[in-house]
Amino acid sequence: MPKSPVYDYDLICIGSGAGGNVAASIAAKKGKKVAIVDQAPKLGGECPNWGCVPTKALLRAAEHYEMAQNASKYGINTGDVSFDYKKVKAWKDLAVHRTGTEDAEEFFESHNIDIYRGHAHFIDKHTVSVNKKRYKARKFLIATGTRSFIPPIENIEKAGYITYEEAIDFTKLPSTMAVIGGGAIGCEFAELFATFGVKVTVFEATPRLLSREEPEVSELVKALMIKRGLDVKTGTIVRKAEKHGKTKTTLHFNDHNHSGQLTVDSVLIAAGKIPNVDLGLENTGVEYDRHGVPTNEYMQTNVKHIYAAGDVTGPYQFTHTASYQSRLAGNNMFTRKDHWQEADYHNIPRCVFTSPEAASVGLTQAQIEEHGVKTKIGLAPVNTIGRSNTENHSSGLVKIVCNTKGTILGASIVAPHAGEMIHELAVAIKYQAHAHDIANMVHAFPTWSEAVKVACASVK
Amino acid sequence: MKKHIVKRRGHTEEFDERKLYASIFNALTVVRVQTADAELIAEKVAKYVKDWLTSKHEVTSKDILHKAAKELESFNDDAAYLYLHHRSVS
Repeated sequence: MPKSPVYDYDLICIGSGAGGNVAASIAAKKGKKVAIVDQAPKLGGECPNWGCVPTKALLRAAEHYEMAQNASKYGINTGDVSFDYKKVKAWKDLAVHRTGTEDAEEFFESHNIDIYRGHAHFIDKHTVSVNKKRYKARKFLIATGTRSFIPPIENIEKAGYITYEEAIDFTKLPSTMAVIGGGAIGCEFAELFATFGVKVTVFEATPRLLSREEPEVSELVKALMIKRGLDVKTGTIVRKAEKHGKTKTTLHFNDHNHSGQLTVDSVLIAAGKIPNVDLGLENTGVEYDRHGVPTNEYMQTNVKHIYAAGDVTGPYQFTHTASYQSRLAGNNMFTRKDHWQEADYHNIPRCVFTSPEAASVGLTQAQIEEHGVKTKIGLAPVNTIGRSNTENHSSGLVKIVCNTKGTILGASIVAPHAGEMIHELAVAIKYQAHAHDIANMVHAFPTWSEAVKVACASVK
Repeated sequence: MKKHIVKRRGHTEEFDERKLYASIFNALTVVRVQTADAELIAEKVAKYVKDWLTSKHEVTSKDILHKAAKELESFNDDAAYLYLHHRSVS
């Protein structure tokens, strides 16, 4: 009779971010023997250490600075407004500290989760090697996240650049900056630094910023950036970088008709992310590609005892999808199949923390129409509602996309607090509500959410 | 730091850059790459694999094979194919 394998763990999670730690906690609570392996200098993953938390804290500081600059319009005397960026960073560090990631190791150990700091490399389907020690597990969860994609710009490595990981730790701001990439990360950093007086130029290779969102959103975000003094070059590719003197960098770029050069103090690359898949997956048979490790609806890879969650699998690279997927994986791997839960991505909110925020949920008009489905559209500017008057803010819109029966399939908002407002529409999509259901619902006056009601009432 | 390679039969060996260099060089010469070029390419591929190993303590011989073949492919497709599929040259 063959010997049954002896495992060190029921579950090993590779990665301690939102994609890994939720499943680890669920499994540990079920009495399973669990370990987490992470090679990053800090536990907790990207979001609290280098991503969402520090950037939102910095953006909050920028918002206060801008409000103080404009306070005299409302009868508030502030005198000269200035900032100390070392203290701005200190505030950011406090926000990161308060997430508790510095104590993550103790937290995990108190929840009976073993922690190994190092690179995990699969030796076979049930074994990983970490710091020359091998650990066998019945199941694995790959939650290794992503890293910045560096586009093929000639000489960029020699000329030098930073990514979001360095950009959150400035103590002194450059005078000029190029941001390569006009997605969510690029737009947020561009606005952040521009608010603090940096002369920022944004290069986006596709014809518009936030290119996966509705064109109306992209156009408005671009127009608002230009109004703030940013130079936004869409449809423009940076081809070459050269060191200019000791501290500056010259970028060579071109669009369809023109080529040009720009010399800046700092180059921030925010041109997307690539999955961390250098784990010896070839030794397990787990399939992967340049987009990451694909899974089925239960978060299993093609090798059924190896699961994946978070940015490394997609389809969205958000903390909220990572923790959602990790919860599904943690549940599914240790329950009977008739209790397994399927991933459902059709009402995942997407937020970009520009000023004002841009948020969306569901499908865009183009995504729906490319499947041959006819649409009805509702569109409302925010400047018609009461809150726009009392806030002295007139830029923004709400777009609702429905099928011909009026069922809401997608929505986009550009407005202050759009990231909060979008959840009403996420619920509407989840429960297949019609636009008239939202239009007939009483919305409090004066709130930004009244714009959602107005947009739903305008669907035709 | 010594790097351990887990061989097909489960035992481990230390990573030997010279051995990797030799097998890459052999594959290149079989497809008639000039000796001087073959030396240069083999050196680059071996260095690439060595750099890749920096953050790792233990990998399999299959990992080395695939990593080296992928890098070799960017210089010479035929040699990479030969290196990957004909173990007698490696």
